[in-house]
Amino acid sequence: MNSSVAADPLTSSADVAIVRRRRRGLDWATVGSYALLLVLAILYAGPLLMLLNTALKTSPEFAKDPVALTSSFSVANFGKAWDKADFPRYLVNTILYSAVATTVYLAAAFPLSVAIARRFVRGWNWLYLLFVIALFLPVALIPQFQLLLNLRLYNTQVGYILLFLTNPIGVLILVGYIRTIPRDLDEAAAIEGSGYIRYLVQIILPLTRPALATVAILHAIGVWNELVLANIYLTSKAYFPITRGLIVFTGIYGNDWPLLAAAVLMLAAPMVVLYVFLQRYIISGFTAGSLRG
Amino acid sequence: MKSPFGRGLAGAIPYGLVLPGLLLYLVFALGPSLATIVYSLTDTNGLTPRPLNFIGLANYQEFLFRGAAAQENIQALLRTLLFCFLVTTIQFTLGLLAALLLNQRLAGTRWFRALFFLPVILGVTIQGLVWRLFLYPLDGPVDSVLGLFGVQSELLGGSGLSAFLWVTVVQIWSNLGITMVIFLAGLQTIPDELHEAARIDGASRRQGFWHVTWPLLTPAVTTNLILSIIGSLQAWQLFLVLINYRPGTQVLGYVVYAQAFGQTSGSTTSNSFRQGYGAAASVVLFVVVFIVGVTAQYLLRRREERLLG
Repeated sequence: MNSSVAADPLTSSADVAIVRRRRRGLDWATVGSYALLLVLAILYAGPLLMLLNTALKTSPEFAKDPVALTSSFSVANFGKAWDKADFPRYLVNTILYSAVATTVYLAAAFPLSVAIARRFVRGWNWLYLLFVIALFLPVALIPQFQLLLNLRLYNTQVGYILLFLTNPIGVLILVGYIRTIPRDLDEAAAIEGSGYIRYLVQIILPLTRPALATVAILHAIGVWNELVLANIYLTSKAYFPITRGLIVFTGIYGNDWPLLAAAVLMLAAPMVVLYVFLQRYIISGFTAGSLRG
Repeated sequence: MKSPFGRGLAGAIPYGLVLPGLLLYLVFALGPSLATIVYSLTDTNGLTPRPLNFIGLANYQEFLFRGAAAQENIQALLRTLLFCFLVTTIQFTLGLLAALLLNQRLAGTRWFRALFFLPVILGVTIQGLVWRLFLYPLDGPVDSVLGLFGVQSELLGGSGLSAFLWVTVVQIWSNLGITMVIFLAGLQTIPDELHEAARIDGASRRQGFWHVTWPLLTPAVTTNLILSIIGSLQAWQLFLVLINYRPGTQVLGYVVYAQAFGQTSGSTTSNSFRQGYGAAASVVLFVVVFIVGVTAQYLLRRREERLLG
């Protein structure tokens, strides 16, 4: 256990202190820490377990006592929700939007980030600043909507994807990472007569892979979870991503809590699976670029 | 510096490859963002595109000064600041506490960290729907637990204030993980030798925290405060999922969306898309974010200089 903890870059800690604490045995600070952690864990695991418990109940069972543990272990809700929520279609849409938007975004952001990080273009510092100020600016919601209306892309899948082809934080993360790659490689590549595109694809790209993975996941999660833009731009059911589909489903079956719980669980499942495998990249995506120095 | 990969035509390649990313950003993000100010001066509405018709500052005048709606807008503004204050202070404190607990070498910290961060990746839809399940049904989970302590609450179905406060709780629950991992990353940059040195000098745990950990956590403190102040001023999506547009609960971000996309009355009609008016609301929100954000940034920089030199 301990070795795996130490291997994790986010949980390294005082070795000396551990040895000392072991010698003293269990102290009150440790007991107190676990007590607090357990309280927090109940607040976080509780709702999710309760969701599962609710999904496994029948409607009458829930009406009688919403809190009690399920006695029927009814899995019927999952089948029913799968059919009624149009789950497969929404899922296909969400995967399509996330995959296409993330791919195009990275293809455009990568050469941009290299040029800024390596100062290959004049005015690179102004370019960089353009992406830094994004955090403060007003939301682009309304003019963006007018733009897509005028382009006749309202309620189209292409229009919806166009909304997700930028992500300033991703550019900042990529620039920060590429700056740490030694410049000697550039010189060596140039001397060997490599062209710019070959240099990008064969030398910088492989070395930037960890940052690209982080940014890709961060961006894909954003598209996957988007609700507001789906509300605004998509009116045809055939185009709904799962978030929008789930909200519509909630409106129709709002009082059938067990059915709703089953639908929420099913739609959360892909994300949870992804999280289990890619946790390291995901968490580093949320911390990368946020700490200076 | 110029690229070492050729001159003349070949030297233009880096510029060419910058263009797609730059254009996408300018056309779909930065441009529309700045154009919000232009739209706020027009009476643009509805779903049919038509030329801009400028009406001066009428939208602002109506938003801030005209009648009962203006009073509700001012209340929404104050509520936004309250939301920001509650979310920032509580999320900061709990996030720091969680990070300090998890930064110890205790068994299972990875699992705890993964669990506390989970809501962040589930997104607002699922965060909101999970808590609806707990906060709506009478005799539901939260109602029952509070009942044990003799607390009566109608939760989300109750008064505007009660619903607002419950959304605040869900907001903190959902985003605590981000604050926590940023603090954890900050804590890990502090060399163990410093803790050890403080201990040898006879510092207690508390002294160690205030004299070693806290000053060295400064970058993480700044990042967390800025992210959470700006984020919570702009956040409103959980209000949408948890309680919809209800009088006495709106924050500014929701007012923008509801006005611009015809969601104020619950039913959507195209002539209720008050885009110009919504844009004015959006600029008001931007001014609030800017003033609060820049002030916070300034104070935090001064604090950094004082602590880190």
